[in-house]
Amino acid sequence: MILIQIALRNLLTHKIKSAIVGGLLIFAAFLIIAGLSLISSIDKSMSKSIVNSVAGHIQLQEKGAKDELSIFGQMGSNEIGYIHNFAEIRKAIEAMPEVAAVVPMGIDSSIVFGGNVLDVKLEALRNAVKAGDQKQSAVIRRHVRRMVALLDDELKNLKGFSDQEKMSDDMKQGLLDVAEANQPKFWDSFDADPYAHLEFLENKIAKMAIGEDMLMLRYVGTDTERFRKVFDRFEMVDGQMIPPGQRGFLFNKFTYEEQVKHKTARRLDKIKDRLAEGAKVATDDEIKQWIKLNRTQYKEITFQLDDVATDEVKAALQAELQSKESDMAKLVDAFMDVSDANFQKRYDLFYKVIAPRIRLYSIRMGDTMTINGFSQSGYATTVNVKVYGTFRFHGLDRSTMAGAFNILDLMTYRDLLGYMTADKKAEIAKLQAQSGVKELKRDTAEAELFGEGGGEQVEDTTNATPTQAAAATPTDAPAEATPAAIAGNAPLSGAKLMAKELEGHVYSQEEIDGGVIRSAAIMLKPDFDVKTGMEKVSALIAAKKFALKPLDWRAASGLVGNFVGVIYAVLAFSIFIIFLVSLVIINNSLVMSTLERTREIGTMRAIGAQRSEILQMFMVEAVVMAGVFGAIGCTFGYALVAYFGHFGLLASNDFMIFLSGGPRFYPALPPWGLPVAMLAVLIVTLISTLYPAWLAMRITPLAAMQDSE
Amino acid sequence: MHMATTPAIEPIVHLSNVDKDYKLGAVTVSALKQVSLEIAPGEFTVIAGPSGSGKTTLLNLIGCVDVATRGEVIVAGQDTGKLSEGDLTRLRLNALGFIFQSFNLVGVLDAFQNVEFPLLLQKKMNAAQRKERVMDLLNRVGIAEYAHHRPGELSGGQRQRVAIARALVTFPRIVLADEPTANLDSVTGNQILDLMQELNREGTTFLFSTHDPHVVSRAGRVVRLVDGRIVTEPEQQSPMSHT
Repeated sequence: MILIQIALRNLLTHKIKSAIVGGLLIFAAFLIIAGLSLISSIDKSMSKSIVNSVAGHIQLQEKGAKDELSIFGQMGSNEIGYIHNFAEIRKAIEAMPEVAAVVPMGIDSSIVFGGNVLDVKLEALRNAVKAGDQKQSAVIRRHVRRMVALLDDELKNLKGFSDQEKMSDDMKQGLLDVAEANQPKFWDSFDADPYAHLEFLENKIAKMAIGEDMLMLRYVGTDTERFRKVFDRFEMVDGQMIPPGQRGFLFNKFTYEEQVKHKTARRLDKIKDRLAEGAKVATDDEIKQWIKLNRTQYKEITFQLDDVATDEVKAALQAELQSKESDMAKLVDAFMDVSDANFQKRYDLFYKVIAPRIRLYSIRMGDTMTINGFSQSGYATTVNVKVYGTFRFHGLDRSTMAGAFNILDLMTYRDLLGYMTADKKAEIAKLQAQSGVKELKRDTAEAELFGEGGGEQVEDTTNATPTQAAAATPTDAPAEATPAAIAGNAPLSGAKLMAKELEGHVYSQEEIDGGVIRSAAIMLKPDFDVKTGMEKVSALIAAKKFALKPLDWRAASGLVGNFVGVIYAVLAFSIFIIFLVSLVIINNSLVMSTLERTREIGTMRAIGAQRSEILQMFMVEAVVMAGVFGAIGCTFGYALVAYFGHFGLLASNDFMIFLSGGPRFYPALPPWGLPVAMLAVLIVTLISTLYPAWLAMRITPLAAMQDSE
Repeated sequence: MHMATTPAIEPIVHLSNVDKDYKLGAVTVSALKQVSLEIAPGEFTVIAGPSGSGKTTLLNLIGCVDVATRGEVIVAGQDTGKLSEGDLTRLRLNALGFIFQSFNLVGVLDAFQNVEFPLLLQKKMNAAQRKERVMDLLNRVGIAEYAHHRPGELSGGQRQRVAIARALVTFPRIVLADEPTANLDSVTGNQILDLMQELNREGTTFLFSTHDPHVVSRAGRVVRLVDGRIVTEPEQQSPMSHT
């Protein structure tokens, strides 16, 4: 008791020492509490983001694959292997009491061309001509003519910059064609032979049009129906779900808005969101940048308006701006120069007057979209697929990480991957057998065909769709045969035909499960943790001798999954550094105060205190210091965490949204946070006390007599 | 523990042929030479001598905070040369009381707690017994009303009274005081000496050092030290003379 009293009173008496030591310990405790809360909360919410959107608790990939699965990792295809016997795997794993579901997957990125305005207008023109609507035809023709004129201008400018010598013949011819289409006589003669003119425009001019939207889309090829049921963050936004068993594509609402939407409209949306968050036009650099782009990129609007629409928009803008200006470019420029005061009014006007007259989305629901993929070895594959709607991952609507995932049905995915079904492989095996190559067993065909040593002549197939019979044409296959080399060069021309034929076709579960996939997500039942799940799944895989490697969501998600580990390390390191510095400083200041107390300690020794009692006194003082300052620091830390835990911390960027599993981040102190912080502070204090305590123990009772004689 | 009372058969302190050397670098300094001395219960003895004569060294040996280089130092029946440090500490705690020139109170504790401190180290009394004992002594030294004042709030004389109470609280066989009045003005110093004399009459054995002739004049017995040797050790008021 008396020792605690001495300790407490010493804290109050030695003010400078207490301030230094206290400050450090308070800071350390605060940092630990705040840091642990932040990280463990990020870990928790991020795990929800990752697990419930795409990854599931556990991912399976082929054992021995060259690259480790990295769901949120770099774009482009990895050599993550292939899983062939999914049906069997699914049956075995779903039978486990811990497992809720297994979802087949393949994640890839491909290029999609959004189609350009000229294409759309030409299609409208063709329809008008076909219908004999002279008035509509004339309106569209004037618009197309204006677009061609603009195109000609831009190409001529481009020509001025580029080296004529290096230009391809195609390009040179294209420039001549556009110049020709820009002649008055081309348009004067349109009515004489509209179809010939249309054909010229469609075949020669449209391909020269620049400003075509090229979208890089990342998608999960999956059993769409099962995906919808298993991943509870998934929810439809617009359009409809892909009908069960059918082919189709769903845009992630985020991608759809970010990439497919008209750029000016998208920027206005962003300004609106930002202003709603309390930003001001005058002070927000990003808003200023968006406004600037909207003003300079007026062509994004004017280019799309035919003369009827132009007049309507012009009237509305003149009224809004109270201007007599007749130049559309200047009107749009002025209109887009928004302020805090007029933004909402102009935003509404844009959507009321301009938006209906332009293509707000370059790909619309119900459209058939062409996806251009690249198979492993670089062969182009193309498939057409119908866009059914948009979806989002609940709470992650604004995250680029989760928002980058679109959804594609598994059958189309396989076509795009350019990989063969088992049937097809059997067929190849048969063909090979006929052509004298040794017979391949079904389950070893893969290795035999694609293994390093597989230098045999391999037959090439021209088509990779499961529904069409493989018209195998023997050609000289590359010596180093790869899966893609065999299946990847499906003819481009076949794709379009295929889509129409395949649309609406309902595949059976056997067909969906029967083909190749790249990975599979295992969702555990709520009562089981990932660690247990991993152990059980690993055991099952070993028992069944599946060629699979299980990865927990953290490992499977690639860099992002390690993110928490990285910040843990950063926090641990900074805490370590702070502790090290604290250790030195606290040690120093305790040594100083020990020296100041030499006589007091000497006196205690003289009147009968044992060395051990002096040590005890120092330890008690250390514990008291750790307790008092640690508690203060923890209180501060906890207060901060509680504050943000209640009000939330606005996730300032997309990555933060993903990490926090929603637009606001609510940190919470894990139950073990407080003991860990207190223990850490105590350990540091005790360590820093060791040397001063040792010094104090060496003080002899003679020190009490020092000032006499 | 027990107060010295009747026939002092056994001295509390017995020194025979004690030398104490200090090593200062390569040089050995002889602080005490062939000192023999006995202190009987009930004495009020002064060790007198100029600075550097070895007063404090002698007091330190008797106080068990230092050990002799040669010779025998027996305190409360124990040969200090043969004791471990822990045992020496226990001997100090249980048989000796200390009064320091600069009072040496623990600054963060109040008067009561300072006096109580040795009892806490002894762990022999419960809280009630301790309180009774401490308050008795504070009353005896006349500062009971300042029991809950810290040393910083007390005058020099009051502090030394607290120190005296602290020295007496464990019923020591002998109280050692190193220049107890050196930091006090003469009036206060006299009051402290009066108190010590009163306490001596009540049975406490005192041994203290001083170089103040006035203090020496009030001693029951004077041990005079010069250059580490006892030069005279008979009755009161002996002049410095033969070896």
